[in-house]
Amino acid sequence: MSATLDATASELSEAKPASRARPVAGEGTQVGACLSCLRRAWLLTTLAARLDYRSRDLARSWDLLSLPDEQLIDAIGGRRRAEIHARYDEFDAIAHAERERSSQPPEQIGSAQARAEQIGSEKMTPVGVEKICRHHPAFPGRLRDSTLAPHMLSVAGGVHRLAGMLEEPVVAIVGTRRATDHGMETARYLARGLATAGVTIASALSEGIPLAAHCGALDANEASITVTAGGLGKCSPAHCRAVYLRLSREGCALSELPLGAPARRWSALARVRTLALLAQLVIVVEADSNPWELACAHLAQRLGVPIAAVPGRVSSPASRGCNELIMAGAALVRSPQDALDLLYGAGVKRAGEFDRAAEVGGQLDPRLARTLEHIGAGHDTLERLTATGDRREEILTSLLELELRGLVVRGDGGRYVPCGALPTG
Amino acid sequence: MLARARTFTIEGLHARPVTVEVDIRAGLPAFTIVGLADAAVREARDRVHAAILNSGFQFPARRITANLAPADVPKVGPGLDLALACAVLAASEQIPADLLDSRALFGELSLDGEVRASHGTLAVAEAALKTGFEMLVLGPERAREAKLVDDLRIGVVERLSSAVRVLRGGEPDPLPRAARPASGRPGTPRPDLGDVRGQREAVRALIVAAAGAHNCLLCGPPGTGKTMLAQRLPSILPPLTRPEAIEVTRIHSVIGRLTGAQLLSDRPFRAPHHTITTAGLIGGARRDWVGEVVLAHNGVLFLDELSEFARPTLEALRQPLEDGRVAIVRARHSAVYPARFMLVGATNPCPCGYAGEMERCRCTEADIARHRRRLSGPLLDRIDLLVNMQRVGPEVLRGEPITSSARARELVVCARERQAARLHDEGILVNAHLDARMVREYAKLDDEGDRLLAGTAERGLLSARGQQRALRIARTLADIAGSERVRPRHLSEALALRPDSELSARRAA
Repeated sequence: MSATLDATASELSEAKPASRARPVAGEGTQVGACLSCLRRAWLLTTLAARLDYRSRDLARSWDLLSLPDEQLIDAIGGRRRAEIHARYDEFDAIAHAERERSSQPPEQIGSAQARAEQIGSEKMTPVGVEKICRHHPAFPGRLRDSTLAPHMLSVAGGVHRLAGMLEEPVVAIVGTRRATDHGMETARYLARGLATAGVTIASALSEGIPLAAHCGALDANEASITVTAGGLGKCSPAHCRAVYLRLSREGCALSELPLGAPARRWSALARVRTLALLAQLVIVVEADSNPWELACAHLAQRLGVPIAAVPGRVSSPASRGCNELIMAGAALVRSPQDALDLLYGAGVKRAGEFDRAAEVGGQLDPRLARTLEHIGAGHDTLERLTATGDRREEILTSLLELELRGLVVRGDGGRYVPCGALPTG
Repeated sequence: MLARARTFTIEGLHARPVTVEVDIRAGLPAFTIVGLADAAVREARDRVHAAILNSGFQFPARRITANLAPADVPKVGPGLDLALACAVLAASEQIPADLLDSRALFGELSLDGEVRASHGTLAVAEAALKTGFEMLVLGPERAREAKLVDDLRIGVVERLSSAVRVLRGGEPDPLPRAARPASGRPGTPRPDLGDVRGQREAVRALIVAAAGAHNCLLCGPPGTGKTMLAQRLPSILPPLTRPEAIEVTRIHSVIGRLTGAQLLSDRPFRAPHHTITTAGLIGGARRDWVGEVVLAHNGVLFLDELSEFARPTLEALRQPLEDGRVAIVRARHSAVYPARFMLVGATNPCPCGYAGEMERCRCTEADIARHRRRLSGPLLDRIDLLVNMQRVGPEVLRGEPITSSARARELVVCARERQAARLHDEGILVNAHLDARMVREYAKLDDEGDRLLAGTAERGLLSARGQQRALRIARTLADIAGSERVRPRHLSEALALRPDSELSARRAA
């Protein structure tokens, strides 16, 4: 029991600085999360193991996450229901005591804040993490209206910046972690084109399609929004930390969990609801047809958010889910222009200069265009390209030229992958 | 009475002169050997004793002390038997001692007095010539090997009694007739490139690698013929030059792996299993143990399933790959061995082996990244050429072979001759060994080539070191094509063969 009390205390000490909220520069209002919303976040981390178990059934887990606190404890608390209820009630008392104690000597706040940041992580506490809850006027409107939405968000990068980014249309680019080279290039190309056109890109934080989407936005010097599976202050998966750090500096990283909370199976799934609620359009680039990889698309469908998918090879499992979505009526997206047409209506907004297909296609040397066309048609290795009957020397020269122009990259197994450019005649 | 005989012991890959001093004096019958002798030398007592008696001589029943000088050099192997026996015979005045000083004796004795061969005959013959002995007396088995050293007189003795005859000024036994050539091995045809169907690009890349002795990595799904291709590499490599052959023969002779007493003409091809230890690969486990890298000197070291090798074992390859030699230092010995070999690795692109084939590979990005990390950057940095292989269809397997080893070898030999002629003054033979200055000098590009190369740097496709590698390959391609200048088309082909260690960086971006 003492251990759990400690956990509560540390939770509170972390909650303190945010609840005392520093004013955001340039705004009169104070940012912060109210006690009940912090309690909600604490409750979710306490129930993590049970939520993991329930997340096997996605449809039900959305219903669970929509429940108010007390009902949630009753629904999944199991044998420890009474104990959790008791701790849930204690939360307020301890929080009040902590708050009073900390409010008296003002110089202690700094040390408390330092302590709170230590709890998150020694090394990687992002600068400028702010908390905001659904009771605050600056909370994103689209999240406030839904019962499914997280009650509280930690925002690395600041609430003010988040609000600025949400003023633009938001497109969530989602997909599998086990992406092919083609999928990665397509995600990057779409994100780059859309970011250039002023759209805000949102995605999860994991390898594969999400990482490629963020990289695409960063290519265009536009930062994107990422929703992490764990609490802020800790990057998981760790090898995405370069992107995570850059996004928390230039864009936004969101989390509904307390600082430093570990990423869990349920939270990795639950974050797609934040994405689906924030987005005006959800684009699935590559996904297998299982409910986990399609979670975001299915939830968006349920919430009435338009969805679109990038078509893939009929035989490829990596595109099976996308092809299914298209069969079921999702819009088909081939280029940033298609996505812009969906967002703004056909032809209202033109894709920017990063739409290489439009830019380069016209003036491409016929030899290069021919090679590019062959690659696009599946003759993607040197062996297959030479089998098309062109001279080997010419193929090699045009391959290098295409690589230098960034129209083709060499992927796994020596396969050449067209880089977002559609071969035009 | 005191007598001295001259012989050699093997130290590293070289022979070192040893003087066997035998002193016989009154006392209880005993035979002691002093002077850092190993077990094989100490056991010589019994062999010498029996051999002397069985050859019809007397073994003195007195106190015999044999000293092996210099006393601080460890003596190994049974090659000292013959000298020891002759010194005992001379000390007991059964043979004259005057010729013992100018003739070196080397060989192991059997109990009935027969002279057998011992490891390292070639190294001993070279040392005998250098030390200035007028004759090297040794057994018939390895006599042909010693004969490879010009200007050295060889005295072949089949038995201890013949050795006594030679030391009395008599004629040695006749040189045995040359055995069948060591390399030909008729009846077991070597694997030929003609067995390979499809894989046109991979075969081409293999020829390029062979022509410039470039280290290369074969990468592809299981069953695409990576191992098959690598095993056919020896058949397209040019034969050893005479100095190279002597070097290789000496190594194999010292290790005792030489079959037949001929100069080796084929380049060595070593393919150790991936469970090999660092000591097995580099050497140094025992005093007279050399690693696979040394055995692969002037030849090919083929590491199949490169990613399965222990990490420290692969890291240990860095020095030999860089310097062409290994310096082994252990508590009681140190030695420098030549190890200039062509490294050929084979690996799958990901744990399941099918990366890039959308339908089959189910590895995650993290799996692939982890798999790539198993091959350390510094090792990949020394690999010039990446050969990507894909599976071929059944119609290709039924088709005609692309080339044969004979034709491919012709290309390789021509390209190597051009390189050797160009690089004659630099003291190297192949493009793989070009350093930064030589690359600038010999692989000059025209304006178009410069533009392409600058573009690769701009795009982040190649590092500075990567550019050097690409230029070396381009030089070799030009040599194969018989072009004096490196043209843009050579460069573009070289760039298509570049190893893509940069790719993982792109993915992790």
